[in-house]
Amino acid sequence: MSEMNQDFNKSKAFLIDMTKCTGCRGCQVACKQWNQLDAEKTEFFNGEGYQNPPLMSEHTFTRIKFRDYEKNGQNEFAFYKEMCMHCNEPACASVCPVGAFKKTKEGPVVYDAKRCIGCRFCMVACPFGVPKYEWSKALPLVRKCTGCYSRVKEGQKPACATTCVSAITYGDRGEMIKEANRRIATRPEKYLKKLYGAEEAGGTSVIYLTALPFDELGFKPVTKRPLPSYTWQALRLVPGIFLTVGSSLSLLSWFNHRKERIAKEEEQRKSGQAPKEES
Amino acid sequence: MTAAKIIINEIKGYHRFVKFLIVLVSLGALASLVRFVFGLGVTTNLNDTFPWGLWISFDVVTAVPLAAGAFTLGAIVHCFHIKKLEPLVRPAIVTGFLGYSLVCVGLLLDLGQPQRCWHTMVYWNPHSPMFEVSMCIAAYTTVLFLEFLSPVCEKFGYHVPLRLLRTIEMPLVIAAASISTLHQSSLGTFFLIAVDKLHSLWYNPLLPLLFWVSAMCAGISIIIVEATMSHKWMGQPDESELLETLAKILPWVITAYLTLKLFSLFALTEGPLFNRPGLLVLFAVEMLGGVIAPLVMLMNGNVRENNRLRATAAWLVIAGVILNRFNVSMFGMEAPGTFYYPSFIESLVTIGIIAAHILFFVLIAKYFPIFEHHPETVDYSIPDNFHKTEKGHAVHGKVAGEA
Repeated sequence: MSEMNQDFNKSKAFLIDMTKCTGCRGCQVACKQWNQLDAEKTEFFNGEGYQNPPLMSEHTFTRIKFRDYEKNGQNEFAFYKEMCMHCNEPACASVCPVGAFKKTKEGPVVYDAKRCIGCRFCMVACPFGVPKYEWSKALPLVRKCTGCYSRVKEGQKPACATTCVSAITYGDRGEMIKEANRRIATRPEKYLKKLYGAEEAGGTSVIYLTALPFDELGFKPVTKRPLPSYTWQALRLVPGIFLTVGSSLSLLSWFNHRKERIAKEEEQRKSGQAPKEES
Repeated sequence: MTAAKIIINEIKGYHRFVKFLIVLVSLGALASLVRFVFGLGVTTNLNDTFPWGLWISFDVVTAVPLAAGAFTLGAIVHCFHIKKLEPLVRPAIVTGFLGYSLVCVGLLLDLGQPQRCWHTMVYWNPHSPMFEVSMCIAAYTTVLFLEFLSPVCEKFGYHVPLRLLRTIEMPLVIAAASISTLHQSSLGTFFLIAVDKLHSLWYNPLLPLLFWVSAMCAGISIIIVEATMSHKWMGQPDESELLETLAKILPWVITAYLTLKLFSLFALTEGPLFNRPGLLVLFAVEMLGGVIAPLVMLMNGNVRENNRLRATAAWLVIAGVILNRFNVSMFGMEAPGTFYYPSFIESLVTIGIIAAHILFFVLIAKYFPIFEHHPETVDYSIPDNFHKTEKGHAVHGKVAGEA
């Protein structure tokens, strides 16, 4: 899937250092402003801890997840910025019957609302649970983080990366992975020695660094293999199967019918009659 | 006497059960109207964590294998040339045509933008199993429609189209079988992408092949059930001798399925199998009740010869396939701690679609020659020239239609 031979090291990626996140949610606000998303009525303790809104939705493309944990007998918060991972080989783009999703060469995975037929296969396929649906509308469409493609293609940074004072770095994916490894190497006591997003789902354009184990923060364990390959290993056989089944059945029926026709002609010759229909 | 009056009088004469079906269909139509006016969010229990519900699980993923009788029987009769099964072909084709048309209805209801359904024909994405399935369903519904035209032409005595249909019959049967192979299996490919979502009891790389083989099991069983029921309730001719032949083929297909299933389960599955007791129970019911029990039953000659037991075994196979499709597309896909159940509107629509299927089948059987059709009336060898199809056939068909 995707445009083959794309050099993902050159496409843009987010490096999100969760140890530097203070939970200010400036990224949530910037995202709402740039994408002109409606506010959501929220209340405390609707989700876990102080996080708001409780889930990503058609009106919320990114949000900070709050996670309570105990460190040296003290209650602490851990944060996790939830957003579209902009996979190198996106499952949503691969399963969409009308090709409404596309991996751009700049990095973001974009969605063409004019093509979408609303089958929601992208929601079933996405391993990160990102695409959301406009359940409130009579003719709903899919909504998800755009990676601020409108900004990125003009050479600007995405809205959330522009607003964030410390935790989000934006740049070439190869550089971001190098930077992440450099941070782990210089402060090995601070970071977990693993990058989330470097290999998940075949590599994504969002790379996370944390201090806490990823599953405790609510990161989903995801296969390392690009998802489109799972369906493609079956789908690539389609033309071959069609031709094989079609031609073998044709041969089989031609053979069987020929056998019958010959038998019938034989019978007619024996009885010495002119060809006549069976009744 | 206006046309409306004639129709009303006709309906008044129907059996109570048929009238009941008409009520169910109208309720379903009403419910789908409500869905289109108020949208999916309000009328269904779908949400962002469970975007595919009853309509995909039943109306599409389950209804397609249940309509598989047409291609299975078409291939058995015409390609393998087991001619004596010919009388069963037409009812199977009608069932298949109705099934697929209603699958299309189900799909349209489930789409968020149904007015754009033609997009699949214009914007191609060959990497998508959904694209493949929608193309195949469109093509196959057309093929079934053409096959269904034969009894219609016979009924009205249109000789020329009938002759044309006879000419393209074999290509149609072969096209039907190859297209069905593709989309029956591609419904399994749908769920190959749900790598970390579908439970390992059902997730394995052979899912498409398993879907295809189980669709054939369902197809053959549906024909057995349908013929038994139309004999019992609609006073149609008894085909038990033919059904015995089918019941002899069926255990072979089930054995093939079972072998594949066990192989994929033990050799190809990667995740844990025993971590979700609820799913384990569903899996056990599916395998023991829907595969092993009917297999053991059908291996016994007494069961195959007994109308009632044979139909029971076929029902078990059908129930097993239905449960399998629900397990794959609904129960096995639910993350621990979440629970989806269909809303009132969703259920009403699905009941309406099932009722519509039975209703249209009964009505078509009433007005078109689908049961009276027997092989001795029509020569089904490949016509090698046009002289072979003589007027005698069409006239014969017409007579049969009026009988």
